[in-house]
Amino acid sequence: MKGKVAVIGVGMIKFGELFEKSLENMIQEAYLNCLKSVDKGIDPKEIKAAWFGQWSGGYIGQGSQSGATLASMIGNLDIPVTRLENACPTGGDTFRHACLGVASGLYDVVLALGAEKMRDKPSAESMMAAGGGGADTGWHPSWMLGQGGPVIQAMHAVRQMHDFGYTMEDFARVAVKNHLNGTLCPFAHFQFKVSIEQVLNSPSICWPLHLLDCCPQTDGAAAAIVCRADIAKRYTDKPIFVLGTNVGIDHSQLWDRNSFVEQPATVKAGKGAFKMAGIKPADVDFAELHDCFTNTELLNIEDLGFARKGEAAGMLKEGQFDRNGSRPINPSGGLKAHGHPIGATGLGQILEVVTQLREEAGGRQVKLKNGIGLQHNIGGPAFGVSAVNILSRTS
Amino acid sequence: MAQPTPASPLFWRFNAEVFRLIGIKCQDCGHISYPRTKICHECGSLNVQEYKLPKKGSIHTYCVNWTPPPQFEPPITPVVVDLEGGGKYLGLMTEVDKPEEIKIGSRVEMVLRKIMTDRGLNVYGYKFRLAEV
Repeated sequence: MKGKVAVIGVGMIKFGELFEKSLENMIQEAYLNCLKSVDKGIDPKEIKAAWFGQWSGGYIGQGSQSGATLASMIGNLDIPVTRLENACPTGGDTFRHACLGVASGLYDVVLALGAEKMRDKPSAESMMAAGGGGADTGWHPSWMLGQGGPVIQAMHAVRQMHDFGYTMEDFARVAVKNHLNGTLCPFAHFQFKVSIEQVLNSPSICWPLHLLDCCPQTDGAAAAIVCRADIAKRYTDKPIFVLGTNVGIDHSQLWDRNSFVEQPATVKAGKGAFKMAGIKPADVDFAELHDCFTNTELLNIEDLGFARKGEAAGMLKEGQFDRNGSRPINPSGGLKAHGHPIGATGLGQILEVVTQLREEAGGRQVKLKNGIGLQHNIGGPAFGVSAVNILSRTS
Repeated sequence: MAQPTPASPLFWRFNAEVFRLIGIKCQDCGHISYPRTKICHECGSLNVQEYKLPKKGSIHTYCVNWTPPPQFEPPITPVVVDLEGGGKYLGLMTEVDKPEEIKIGSRVEMVLRKIMTDRGLNVYGYKFRLAEV
């Protein structure tokens, strides 16, 4: 797999409350932007298969679509198209499956596209949909009532405070850093700065997490075109190569989990991806990590091996994860600034990693040393699913 | 949100688990879980036996939810409890005056309470309250 697949195009739309756009409108805009980004041009009919990432449409009113929705919207009915849903890592896993399609030898050029409408229903309803675990145990009120993302991550945050002495200020620093980065990203839902005081004074959602510790509910779409690495130069002078791709799995029920200061799904996804890539965490220049909540970013940094357990907050305070720090984390502004249109989120992060590796990120460009970037998602009813993709300028 | 009614098969199916606290214990790795499963979630062993969960334990972690689902007055305090003898249980605290009374390590015990009302029918289950030391 390593080095066999290259990204030749990426495209997305500005994430936000897009009441004027349907799911189908967003799909087409992201797709057209993606085609346009292939600098030497591409005939759309060269795309021989596609994967469509969409999370839980049925609950939030957009309908759980099929591959036919994507195929119809891109006007290509002669290729196989599969819809994929795998909790919050849906976007990252959709990209992975596109890469596997090429690596299998079946297809030379394929499309990965994710799209999600989160805002057509009122916030409370949308949050309730996102919080229902699905399956029997997820619906039984004795066990799972109200166990949405904020509750689960707040339970981790309480344990991080207890075990490592992390504080709400430490969590707030993640929001400060990511929102600052987001002011320079044209695709971000929110493009404002926040201070530690503003985060700590925002309403309490699930103590110890405040409103500004949480990412917003957002509409959006994002896409990538990947192809056989040996033909990538036909399409672009700046192909970006896939070094490693993996999904890590842990329990689907919170009460089966052992630890609340580590998310084993991320640990496993990272280990497998690093092994495939033949690199160590220290070789990664920068990373786009799944900061659905501020404390989650600290968990992720540690679970992927960018810091030892209990040390991420201190390194953050020293500025090591700033855009000009030793290892920038979420130079795009992350989910905090972009929001989290679930099927699109991972592919939006892929766009940022590719843009940074091509040194086309303008004011938010990070310094590259090895030319390697990493994308990460985590989620699911007990945060038991994680996706990691490692990209590089060289194969 | 699709919500099962208390008369739906899911409630009937889980009566033993919810009210009599019947779970499983893996005879190979010792993992304790619920509802009953033929295959251990932790190690995949088929060598699992029914196991009655204890009603007592201590708080492993918790949070204070100021944005609870409909029918609940904020704040509510979900807890993950380390049960005596192993295993964890997820539930809500009850009879708490101030959230500050709840701490990691606090001793708790299950009490049967009404959880909510759904289309005129009551849904019962266990909640946790702080135990006398």
